[in-house]
Amino acid sequence: MKVTLNNNEIIIFKGATISEMVLAYSLRSHKMLKNGKLCVYDRFGNLTEPDGPVYEGQLFYLKRAE
Amino acid sequence: MKFNSIILFLVVFTLFSINNQAVAQKNKKSTEIIILHTNDMHSKIDNFGKLAYLADSLRKTHQYVFLVAAGDNFTGNPIVDMYPDKGFPMIELMNKLHFDVTALGNHEYDMGQELQNKRRQQATFPFISCNVDATGAVAKPYEPYVILKAGKIKIPFLGILQLGENGLPDSHPSRLEGLKFTNGIEKVKDFLWLKDKYGILIALSHLGVENDEVLAKTYPQFDLIIGGHSHTTMTKAMMVNNVMIVQTGSGLKNVGITTLHVKKGKITDRSYELVPLASIKKTDPEVQAMIDAYNSNEEMKRVVGFAETDFSSKEELGYLMTDAITARMKVDFAFQNGGGIRISELPKGDILLKDVFRLDPFGNQVVTYTMTYDEVKSLIINSYNRDKSVDLAPSGMIYTIIVNAEGLCTDVEMKDMTGNLLDANKSYTVGLNSYISASYKFNHKDPGTTNFNTTAQTLLDYLGDVKKVNYAGLNRVSVKK
Repeated sequence: MKVTLNNNEIIIFKGATISEMVLAYSLRSHKMLKNGKLCVYDRFGNLTEPDGPVYEGQLFYLKRAE
Repeated sequence: MKFNSIILFLVVFTLFSINNQAVAQKNKKSTEIIILHTNDMHSKIDNFGKLAYLADSLRKTHQYVFLVAAGDNFTGNPIVDMYPDKGFPMIELMNKLHFDVTALGNHEYDMGQELQNKRRQQATFPFISCNVDATGAVAKPYEPYVILKAGKIKIPFLGILQLGENGLPDSHPSRLEGLKFTNGIEKVKDFLWLKDKYGILIALSHLGVENDEVLAKTYPQFDLIIGGHSHTTMTKAMMVNNVMIVQTGSGLKNVGITTLHVKKGKITDRSYELVPLASIKKTDPEVQAMIDAYNSNEEMKRVVGFAETDFSSKEELGYLMTDAITARMKVDFAFQNGGGIRISELPKGDILLKDVFRLDPFGNQVVTYTMTYDEVKSLIINSYNRDKSVDLAPSGMIYTIIVNAEGLCTDVEMKDMTGNLLDANKSYTVGLNSYISASYKFNHKDPGTTNFNTTAQTLLDYLGDVKKVNYAGLNRVSVKK
């Protein structure tokens, strides 16, 4: 399935989590997500936990943790 | 330290109370109703003591306090999920805290319908869902809604369950046999009479925030959507079509406090606050004792298999992990990355439950693919070239890495377990863990799919099947220059 992270199209398996989506995007970003230095936000601007599910067509943004 | 903790909590609590008292003044003669809510707890029990303390504190100072969950109470902590009565600690704790209701989440099916019935029978609160028909299924029927009472005020909470593209909730399809699911957002229209009758309507939604937005746009009749499934941590409520949408993340890290003021059968004021449970420094001692007992229980020492010989390398353990995937998922090949094998030795003798979670602690899922011969080869080549070393432990095949003068893999010789070269014109089914799926670069037209089984659970199931294992001296990978 296709999802969008920071305006980049990511192709990932169905059933993937937010964490796995970030892993597919960048190993470095994934490490920063695990360390709490980066967070993932949904298209509404809400924080989304790394263990949350991802579905076809969704948009997310990685930002530095506040 | 203790004194500081109490002071901190009192400051937070007093600020909350002052704010609400001011609103109460504004809404004189209105009834204040506090809804404490959580979602996607996923068997995480460590903060239950704090939640109990907060709930009891609020109950002492406020007449009407409800405690509700928006689904996915189970799956995510072996202490709960592997308890002899799978999932029971969660029910016992939720009962102890006097939960009023939970929505049915997709992961409520992970333990199977029969066990879910038992857990629901033990629960002092209902599991609600309006879009599941259990007629003819093992699961007992679900109430679509529950009416909670605050004095003379009756508040309907309507349960709604997420469905995936396949029309099923995200759980293994074998656990959903006999159940009929209908689109939750469409099904809601059958229950709008609740709003007409009671003047208030609250969704306890396990649809995820994207669908909650659609729900709010479609049905302005909702006053409040308490959401779950997407693990969204809302520091502020979303307002869509004058419907308030709230959600508190996952793993019981936070709790939501939504306050309603009701006057003449209508909500006159709504407010929402996200409370990180880490900010609550006190815990209910009785509940904490229950948590401590669960966390120190002997269950993790349960024997789940027997090693006839020592496992003396990561490779041997990797072969065990991948053999579990090929056997249980009925795929041709499986691969396990070295970094995901977290112990390098396991002595002969009993294999304990805790050994499985030490070996594979990540909660990775199994992802299956249909791949061509060349695609499988690209996976192995790319895995080797990441660090110029053997990485993937295979099952269903043995392979030889061919390296050039620079130490890079340029080709792979792949054979079946009897030593015959694989057919280059065939397609093969392949099982990988979700870490490899997400992070390794390899050619694959099939994007892969998961059936929501973890690799650890797959290994446990496999050990349950075979009972005894012996991998001493086994080697399925070689390197040729």
